[in-house]
Order: sequence, then structure tokens, then C-alpha cells
Amino acid sequence: MNALLLACQFLPLLGFLTIALFGNTEKKIAALSFWTTHAMGLSIIVLLAIWAYSGFSAHEFEWFTLYERGSYRFPLLFFLDKVSAVYLFAVWVIFSVIVRYCRNYLHRESGYKRFFMTIFSFAFGLNMVVLSGSIDMLFAGWEIVGVSSFLLIAFYRHRIQPVRNALRAYTVYRFCDIGLLLGAWMGHLLFHESDHFSQLSLLFEHNASPASFPALLLMSLLIFIAASGKSAQFPFCFWLPRAMEGPTPSSAIFYGALSVHLGVFLLLRTSPIWSYHILTRTLLFGIGLLTVLIASFAEQTQSNIKGQVAYASITQVGFMFMELALGLETLVLVHFLGNAFLRCYQLLVSPSIVAHMLRVEGAIDTAIDTKKPSLQAYLPVSIRDTLPEVLQNTLYVFALQEGNLELLVRSILWTPLKQMGANINRANVWLKLAIGAGIIMVFMLAVLTGVMDFTYLAVPAVLAMVMASLSAFSQKHSFISIWNAVALSCLLAASAVWFLHPSDWSYILLFATGIIPSWLLGILVLGKLPKNENFRDSPFAYRAMAETNPGLSLLLFLSFLGLVGFPITPAFIGEDLLLYHASSHQHSWVAALIAVCFVINGIAAARVFLRICMGRPSEISEA
Amino acid sequence: MTKASPKINLQDYPELHAFDLDESIAHIAHWLPTQGPIKDFIHHNTLHAVQHHPFHKGVAIAAKVFGARSYLPAADYQALYRQGRIKDFAVDWAIAHAGYGLEQHSALREKLFVVDSNEHYPPVSLANHGIRNSWLTHLEIDLNSQVHPVLFRLLANFLDQGISRWTLSKNGESFWNCVWRLAQNSLLPLYPFDDVVVRELLNQSPNEVILACLERIVGAEDLYEQYLLEMILAHPGWSGMVRLIELDPKSLLERRDISLKEMIAVEMLAELAILRKKRGAGFAAVAAMPDTDDIPLLHDYEDKAVVPLTLKIWHEAMEYSLHAELLAALKAQDAPAKPKAAPIAQAFFCIDDRECSLRRYLEELNPAIETFGAAGFFGIDFLYQGFDDAYPVAQCPNILTPKHLIMESNLKPETEKDDLAEGFSDLHIMPHSLFRGWLFTQILGMGYAARMLWDVFRPGSQLLKIKKLSEVEAHTHLHLLRENDEPDADGRLLGFSFTEMADKIEGLLRNIGLTKNFAALVVVVAHGSSSVNNPHFAAYDCGACSGKPGAPNARAFAWMANHASVREILRERGIDIPDNSYFVAALHNTSRDEITYFDKHLFAQYPAEALQAFQGTMRQALQKNALERCRWFELGPQSNAHDEAHEHVIARASSIFEPRPELNHSNNLYCVVGRRSLTRGLFLDRRSFLHSYDPGSDPDGKLIVKILSAIIPVCGGINLEYLFSRIDNSIYGAGTKLPHNVIGLLGVANGVEGDLRTGLPSQMIEVHEPARLLIVIEQTTALLDKAFANLGGPLRAWLDNDWVRLAACHPDNRGLFFYHSTGWEPVELPEDCAVPSANRSETIIVGQRATIPVHLLRSHA
Repeated sequence: MNALLLACQFLPLLGFLTIALFGNTEKKIAALSFWTTHAMGLSIIVLLAIWAYSGFSAHEFEWFTLYERGSYRFPLLFFLDKVSAVYLFAVWVIFSVIVRYCRNYLHRESGYKRFFMTIFSFAFGLNMVVLSGSIDMLFAGWEIVGVSSFLLIAFYRHRIQPVRNALRAYTVYRFCDIGLLLGAWMGHLLFHESDHFSQLSLLFEHNASPASFPALLLMSLLIFIAASGKSAQFPFCFWLPRAMEGPTPSSAIFYGALSVHLGVFLLLRTSPIWSYHILTRTLLFGIGLLTVLIASFAEQTQSNIKGQVAYASITQVGFMFMELALGLETLVLVHFLGNAFLRCYQLLVSPSIVAHMLRVEGAIDTAIDTKKPSLQAYLPVSIRDTLPEVLQNTLYVFALQEGNLELLVRSILWTPLKQMGANINRANVWLKLAIGAGIIMVFMLAVLTGVMDFTYLAVPAVLAMVMASLSAFSQKHSFISIWNAVALSCLLAASAVWFLHPSDWSYILLFATGIIPSWLLGILVLGKLPKNENFRDSPFAYRAMAETNPGLSLLLFLSFLGLVGFPITPAFIGEDLLLYHASSHQHSWVAALIAVCFVINGIAAARVFLRICMGRPSEISEA
Repeated sequence: MTKASPKINLQDYPELHAFDLDESIAHIAHWLPTQGPIKDFIHHNTLHAVQHHPFHKGVAIAAKVFGARSYLPAADYQALYRQGRIKDFAVDWAIAHAGYGLEQHSALREKLFVVDSNEHYPPVSLANHGIRNSWLTHLEIDLNSQVHPVLFRLLANFLDQGISRWTLSKNGESFWNCVWRLAQNSLLPLYPFDDVVVRELLNQSPNEVILACLERIVGAEDLYEQYLLEMILAHPGWSGMVRLIELDPKSLLERRDISLKEMIAVEMLAELAILRKKRGAGFAAVAAMPDTDDIPLLHDYEDKAVVPLTLKIWHEAMEYSLHAELLAALKAQDAPAKPKAAPIAQAFFCIDDRECSLRRYLEELNPAIETFGAAGFFGIDFLYQGFDDAYPVAQCPNILTPKHLIMESNLKPETEKDDLAEGFSDLHIMPHSLFRGWLFTQILGMGYAARMLWDVFRPGSQLLKIKKLSEVEAHTHLHLLRENDEPDADGRLLGFSFTEMADKIEGLLRNIGLTKNFAALVVVVAHGSSSVNNPHFAAYDCGACSGKPGAPNARAFAWMANHASVREILRERGIDIPDNSYFVAALHNTSRDEITYFDKHLFAQYPAEALQAFQGTMRQALQKNALERCRWFELGPQSNAHDEAHEHVIARASSIFEPRPELNHSNNLYCVVGRRSLTRGLFLDRRSFLHSYDPGSDPDGKLIVKILSAIIPVCGGINLEYLFSRIDNSIYGAGTKLPHNVIGLLGVANGVEGDLRTGLPSQMIEVHEPARLLIVIEQTTALLDKAFANLGGPLRAWLDNDWVRLAACHPDNRGLFFYHSTGWEPVELPEDCAVPSANRSETIIVGQRATIPVHLLRSHA
């Protein structure tokens, strides 16, 4: 059974690697993907059969410990129970269907290899999320799903619109990662060794509350943010329809079927944490209810088919949130399966809508009724004719603008950060240096004279880190300065934590071994950019390096992943450790700020990657 | 406030003094694509806007405006040369026709083989490098990304034909009033029109709004028109759709009142609002931009348009090579054979290039079958409403406006439809209340898992099948005979009178030159195509029926030609259809390669001896045809088994994951107008439109004018649409089908916020060899000159400006002449231009993966 668990987990990775290495023709890619998909399908089926045979009992498997130091452990931990079994089943059905579908659908498409590699990495991340035994593992999978989703939205990189929408989705993902990042950190903090999913419920059974109420409330909130973002719930509904930019089957598997239900999965996994109190349940119910209201109105005014399916899906996920809040977990699982299959099918056949509406619906017995009941028909008869037009218009505008969520989120979250960053960038370099030096002097002086503890040196470091992140976030003209600012911010975060814990070097080393090479690699690539292009003159142009120089583009992508702490470098564990150490001190706000900065850095670095690698090579005839 | 940009001296351009908005809009609107709602698909010249220029010049001007490529990359032509598809004599011919002196020829020839990877790139263009773009770069604002989503949502919801659950437009209000209502009469602000100044402007008329916005944004009257053009060219799909609906409101089922001016007003206002939000009220106007010389301007782009010389020569050389393949084969054939013994059956097909191979196989299998080609509406233009259609559709080329309405009724008593099954199979596209949606998702989701698995792993054997128009079993009756002469409310006549029927039948029979020697069986074969999961389905059906299957026309034709009263009138006019001749209507499904015979209940009434034999031959021919098509399908069967090939094409047409149910008109290249004897012995690789025409029966050239006025727009339109979609698929074409999203049943767009995509998706054109159509007419040049004088101006422009190529083939000695606006040029092919030959078509196609040159078929000789 353990071997099967590992097979389910690593077969997609094998598929990814073999396609990357040997998939040089379409035929080969198709054969490789066919065999790995079915091998994975087979292992899932056998695994589920054995699991059912052994009485549907939860099964935990610790493979080995990846990293251990002091009280910190990062084990590779797998966990199979009812929830993961249902998700695994859905993965099997939908993934096999999509791979078969794409065999023909993507025939002769440029990017065939890229597409299959991305959906295999998606399956890898997905299975990691589904089978993870602890929140750390889950976070790793979560990141992989996020990045592959980002890549598939930007699959048609020639056009600007998919690239922009990819960034939009990534921004939301990244923001919601704060939830998970801090959630993982709080998990360590609150439950210590027992943050395994298998032990969560026990924890709450034996001991009414393993942590203080505010701490649990905060943690629940963080989990809700993470879940809402991934599942496009209130207030993040807007990104999902706009993410329908890749080939139709990729939209079907990500945004119709699997990825969009990961928020529900996270909530199912962590239910002991948030379900203990009526307040958090009510909050979750509220998120679901608001989503259902907004999304179902927005669905009514979607004049394009994929947007309509997207909002229908969001509505159902909203219902699932409400069901979760009511504690109907089995119903949620049934609902999940139903919604995943239905939306996947709807998206796959969405091009049929023209034929359906004009030929089938047009049949005389149903009498074509393109005059759909207007708003009035939804109103009670008594006020149908008296309800002022203004209310109808208001409702329509509300639905048309999808509840104005995007503007709301943008104006609350991003605009202030951008403005702050712009102000920082506008300031004179020497002025900044002078002020920085001044502040450090004051703190040094305070420490030396013994007014303050040594750990207070972390304060200027954290401040500088925030400044660096903000500066990277709003920088438009120079890629190198964004890159440097991001790296600087990471290193400042590390030094801030070092000030808090001057005794322990190892985790900073671990973190730095991931960040510094990535940073240098990035600098190297950016240095190789053609000098004759004047970046300052056209800050909005995309430079299409993925086409003109795929090798460099891949390097930049890898360094981007390294810099944002993607689980391919030690920086991923280092990041976790950094937060762990930051918080085990009384300055736990430092951890929060570091997490926020990591998120902002991620967005800034993603933007550099998109601007440089995506887009259409500028093709102008000189003649 | 207005000030002239320093670059232009106003004295030189007196017409610029007064800016006339309506005139400007009319001016710029002719650059917009004219592709209607996706339910009908009418092929047309993508570059109709420059059709009054000679081909190469027009293409260069269009490139300067749209920022598109004009030809294939030079490397492609060079590769074709190396493969031997571009011949040396053709290169010489193209160089000789490039208009340079003899002494420069060898220099030109050398230049052709220089490797230059960027010459085929688009030039600096109005759409991409105009004043608006450089101004936006200067302001550092990505205006399009802010304004387009808002504008597209408003347009899509206003024009929506049935996807959205709530209808935006109320009682025929105009777009402007609708936007006004949402912006001014709602408690929630309509983004971005929530600014005080903007709301004030909204109360004025579109005219005033546009002028006010132009004054603020552009600031110099001489740049107004260019700014507007660049603005609408940033989203040609929606602009074109709006313009088309404005000019022809009946192209929508649900009429909408909209005009390009209103759209421009809303867009300009949104631009102003966003600019004010992002850059404050004092943003710099376009006219205040620093002066740069390399920006193309509206008054000089035509002069700046340059035809890339080497690419033009290469392109002409390629076309001449390909055209010469046919011309050489026509010459190489023996003189027309003596008329054979009376045929056992005659079959009428559409001129469509996809019928070319089917006709060849029919005749190969049974030489006693004679085939004819005519435009697939068979000369009968009418509006048709099937018995379960909601609205009538025009069954004729879109240049005709039909006056007759034909209704279909069911012969069988209405069978109770299985409502339950029907209801269940379509649940996923029906609107639900919130609660029902919740319930259905839970209960039925698993069912969809089964359906999805079935559709994906066992295509072609669907459980719940939706019948397409072209697949419908016909046990119905067409009401063809008019019972009274009162037109209905829309001014249409219900059915035809006998005289009108006789007119139509006579017209077609004379066109194709069949006025005697009728066989006992005449099969009228229309064509349609079935595909699933394909929003472009209309582009797969009959082009001569405005993108509909031609079945109703074939049925109407057969019914009329069989009717005793019609035959009586025809006899008086000299066309004697013998009593033992019988017309049968059929429909060829071009994607599945299946045939449906109509009105079977009438077969017993008129026993036709040859029908059995014909049906048997047809079955075999269809299988061979399927095999011939399969050579293009990389994922198709690799064997040469007919059944396997046939099964494959059927599976293709019914798989939800197949973006290429068939390859349609890919590689269309020739159009031969003449007797079948001209082409009967040729293997044309499904590349030719074939129209039957008897040169002897057209002494005054009236028939050829009639034929050309259908062929040039239909076949020429198909050819040029394929050509331009292939040459620049991202500008002239619709890009790849894979991410397409259906918007409002109007068209497709990329993603949720994209512009409507016009033209053909890459899956339809990827194997197309983009060459202009060569029309070969079997007639003397003298008579053709006489006939062309009667051809209307727009059609003459196609010929004189070389948007299609034309050659005459002398009916007796097969002498060939190219048409130029300056006169006829004898076609001189080199001696060594040998035409390959083979015994049977099937031996030619074995192992071939690309286009095949014209072959002589010895079996026919």
C-alpha cells in the first residue's frame, strides 16, 4: 500500500521527466503520457481497492525525514483517508479523460510538449496535495499546482491578454499563499510535533483546545484566505473566468474540475481547526453565502459560455463552503464529485453551444426563446411592474461587474502597496541610503549602550525588507533593480531572523543556498539580455525570450522559482524554517511581515519573468 | 483648443479643415472585417477593403494598415523550389512579369535565394505603431487593457443572442441609451463612467461626446480620423460585428439597435474616464506628443506601403508553377472523345472542391455514370424553414436575396418525443434556479462522468445523439407549390408557381449544358458536413448556400424536375425530359462520407432501374473518397483499407475532441468551367471547383456571365479567405481553435475578455498552400471579351486587379490564354513540362502526405 501511495505520487513526476527528456516528437509524447497516465490510474485503483478492503480506515505513511534540526522536522508524510480517496478517484477519472482528449485535440499545436509537461506537473502537485500528511507537504503541492496553473493560463504567450490573466491568477494565488504559509507556521507553533492531519482531530478530542482561542481564530482565518483564493470564493471570484485562456481541456481540468476544488479540500483537511467554534463556522458560511449570491447573479449576465460555466462552478463551490460550515462533510464529497464531472464536461463541450442553442433548442416544440425572461420575471408578481427601473439597473450593473470584486480587491490590497512602492522608488538613492544608515546607527547605538536588546536590530532589517519588497513591486522600468530588490528583501528577511536568533546559522544557510544561486543566475540571465533594446522606453512591451532564446528563458524561470521559494531548492524548507524561527520569539509579527514580503516578492519576480519571456518576438520588416 | 500638428501643412490638405464625423466613420469602417454572426458563415475576400487596388499593391497597403504579413516566409518558397514544386520556368516567368528590364533579371534571380529571415515580417503599421500607440507608451498607460474588457462586456451583453440568462437590451432601445440607462439610472456606479465630468458628457448625443472626447484626447483635428481608426483597429472583431449589424440588422435573430458611432462614443468616453482616473484631468493630448517622423500617418500610409519584391516574385512563381500543372495537363490530354453511349445515370454535384474526388471515383468505378457540377444551391434561391427549425434561413449565395419561403412539414404523424431523455441529455445547457442547480449538480454530476468517459473513449457511438440538419432522416414534405399569390407579412411568397419552377430548372440545366440526352436516373447531390463541438460548423457546409447544407435545394430541384406540369413547360421551351427519367435528391455528408437519399417514399412511384446500381457505386466511391482524405490525417489509419478509413472519418466527425472533423477547402486552387470531358481524365487532388458549362450552347456569352457572377464571389471568396488566413493566421485568421470561447452566439474569442476572432482558425488552414484561384473557362477569348463587358464593375475588379487568375481554354484546340486587364497572353509552357500519369487515382495517393501535382488518368484516356 505504501508503495502504491508512492507510485500515485511519483508517476506523474516520472511522466513529466520522461516527456521532458525523451519527448521530442508528438508521437513519443503521446505514448509516454498514455502509459504514465494509465500506470497512475492503475495504481490509484489498486490503492483504493486495497484501502477499501482494509476497511476504509485512515492510513498514514512516513517515508523519511527530509530535514531535521532541533525541534523542527520536515518529514515526507502521506495520508490516505475518505477525503483523499474521493479526490484521488476524481483525479483518476478526469486526468485520464483529459489526457485522452488532448491526444487529438492538441495535435500539431505548437507547445504540445509544454502542455503535457505542465499538466503532468499539475497532476504531481495535485496528488501531493491530496495525499499529503502534513500542512508542509500540502503547501509544497499547493505551490506546484499554482505555478503549473500560471503556466497554462499563459500557454498562448504570444498574446498579451493570457499573460496578463496568468499574472492576475498568480497574484491571487500568491496572496492566498500568505494564508497557507502562515498557517503552516502556526501549525508548527500551536501543535508542534502533532501537525499531522492524522492527529489533528485527536488533538481536539483529547484536549478541548490545544491553543488559545485567538490563535485558533487567526489560524482559521488564514486557512479561509488560502481556501477562498484557490477556490475563487468571495472576495476572489473574479480571477476564475479570466483564467480560461489556455486550451479548453486545460481550463476544464483546472478551473472546471480539480484545481478549483482544492480550497474545499484544504478545509476538509483542516476542519478540526476551524470547526470547533460557531464564530469560524459562521464566517465560513458567510463566505459561501456571499459567493453564492454574487456568483449566481454574475452567472446570469455572462454572455460567454466559459464565463458562465466558471460562475456556475464558483456558485457550487460556495454551496460546498456552506455545507462544510454546517458540518455535512459526506455531502460535500458527493457534491464535489458531481460538480467536478459536470463542469469538466460542460467546458469540454462548450464549443457546441452554438449548435445546441440554434438547432436543438430551436426545435419547434421548445420554441426558440432567445427572449429570456428579463429581470422582471424573477421578481414577485406584486412588485413586478412597480419596482422602479433603477433597482433593475442596479442589479444588472451589480451582476455585470461581478460584484465589483476585482476593483475592490485591487483598491484594498494592491493600489496602496503600489503607491508606497512608487514613493520609495521616487526618492533619491542617497537620501534613502542616508536615512537607512541613520536608522541603523540609532539602533546600533541603542544596542551598544544597552538601551535595547540585540534582537531589536531586527526592526531596521525588517523595515528595510518591507521597503525593498515594495520597491520591487512598483518598479516598472528596470528588471535588474526588481530582481536585486527581491533578493535583497529575502536576504534582509534572513538577517532579521538572524538578529532574533543569533545562535543558529544553519537554517539561514539553508535558505541562502536556495536564494543566492537563484539570484545570481537571474542576474546572469538579465545581463545577457540584448543591450540595444531600450527597456525604459517601452515598459509595457513583452520581450518573448521564451521564443527567441528558450535556454535563457528556462534558466530565468528556474531562478524565478528559486527566488520565490518554490519546492525545487532548499529555500523552500528554509522559508518554512525562517518563519518557524521568527515566530518562536516574542516578535511573531516579524513572521507575518516576512510572509507578506515573500508574497510581494513572488509577484514582482513573476512580473519580471512574464515581461521578459512571454509575448511575441517583435517582428517588423525593416524594408 | 485645437491645434494642427506641426507635421502637416494644412494648405496641402484642404479636406482636413473641417472634420466631418459621419464621413470619417464611413471612411474608417471599410477597413473592418465583414464576418457576420457565426451561425452563418459566408466566405469572402478578407481584404475587400483594398480590392480596388491590384492584388500585390492591395496586400501591401493592408499590411501597412493592419500590421500583417503579406506572403509566406522566403524560406518556405525556397523549400518549395528545392522540392521541385516551384519550377525554374515559373521563376523566370515571375521575374519577367515583375516589370524590370532584362538586364536586371539575373540580379533579381540571385536576390531570390538570399536567406533573409525578416523580410516577410509585417511593416510598421497604423494598427501597431500609429499615433495612438506611441502616445500611450508615452503616457505609460495600457489603455486597451482597461477599456476593452468594459466595452466588450457591454457589447456582448447588449448583442447577446441567448447565452446570457438576463437580456440587457430592453424593447429595442439603442446601445447608447442602454449604456446611458446603466450609467445614469443605477444606484451602483457603472465603472468607469462614475466620474462627474464623464457623467455630464453622457447626457449628450454620441456625436457631441465623440467630438468632445476627441478634442480632449487628440487635440488636433487633422489627427481625429487616424485616432479613431487606430482605436477601432485595436479590436477589429467587435468593431466589424457592430458595423455589420448596423448595416444589416436582420443578420441577428434577436434584432438590436446599434451603430458604430455609438460604440465609438462609448469607447472614447471610457478612455476619457480611465485617463482621468489614472493620469488626472491634465493628461497630455496626442497632439502634444513630441514629434517623431517614423509614425505612419493616414495621409501617407498608402505611399509608404512597399511591396516586398522578392517575396512577390516567389509568390507569383509558386502560383504560376501550380497553375501550370493544370494548364499543362489540359493541353496534354487528347482531343475530346466522341460522346459515349447514353449514360445509365447522371449526377449533379456542387462545384465544391470536396466533391471533386467523389465525382472522379464515381466515374472511375462506373464509366456509364456522368457527373455535372453547379453551384450547390442548384439555381433555386429560397428561404427554408425545416419542420423543427425556429426561423427560416436563406439557401443561396449571399449575393442573392430570396423572395420565396419554403416550409417543410412532417409526413408521419408527430411522434411523441422522448421528453425525459431529451430533457436529461441537455440539462447541462439549460438555465436552472439556484436550488435546482445545487440539486442537479449533486445528483447528475456522476452521470456526466459516465457520459464524458463514453464520449472521449468511444467516440462515434454516442448514447444520446443530437441530430444535425445534415443527418436528418427525411420523411418529410416540402411545400414547394404556391397556393396563392399573397405575400406574407415579410413580403415573401410561400412557394413557387409552375412557371417559376420551370424558370429555375431551365436556368440550371442550360447553365451546365444538359438539355438533352437525359439518363433514366438523375441524382441531385447536395452536400453538408457534420461535426461536433465545433462553433465554426457553418464554415463546413455548402458555401453556395451561405453555410447551410444544400439538402433542401436538392429536394426542391428533384421535386420540381419530376413534376409533370414543370416538364410540360420545359418541353415547350425546348428541354425535353423524357417520362422515364427520374430525379432523386441526395445529400453527401462531406465529413462522414455518407450519403442520404431523400423522399424514398416516392421511389416506388417512379421505379428507377439504375438507382440500385448507382447506390452501389456510390457506396464504393465514398469509401475510396474517405481513404483519399485520410492521407492528410496524421493520426488516421496508416493502412490502405477502405473500411478502416471510412470508420476513421466517421469517428472524426463525431468526436468531441477532434478539432479537424475535415479539412474543408484546404488547398483549393483551381476552378474549371467547362465540359466534364475537359477534366474527366485528370487527377486534381481535390483542389478544383468544377462547374459544368457547354461552350457550344452559349453563343452570346450570357450563360458565362451568370456562372461567373456566382463563381467569382463564392469560390474566389473561399480561396482568398483561406489564403489570407494561412498567410497571417493571427491577424487575418482566427488563431488556434483550442482556447476559443463562444461569445453571445455571435462569434468566438480567446478567453473571456478577448476580441471576436474573424477569419478561419488555424486548424482549418494549416495544410493550405496559399495560392490564388485559377479559373479556367472552356471558351474562346473573343466570346469571353464580349461577356466580360457585361460583368458588373465589382466583379471586373476581381479579374482586372488579379484577385483571381483567369485563363481561357479554346473549346476545340485547347489553346490556353491568360487574362490580364491589358489583354490575353498566350500560355507558353516549356516543352519539358511533363505531366505525370497513372492508371488509377488510388495508385497516385499511396504514401503521399503533401499536395500532389495534377496527373493524367490513363483509364479515362
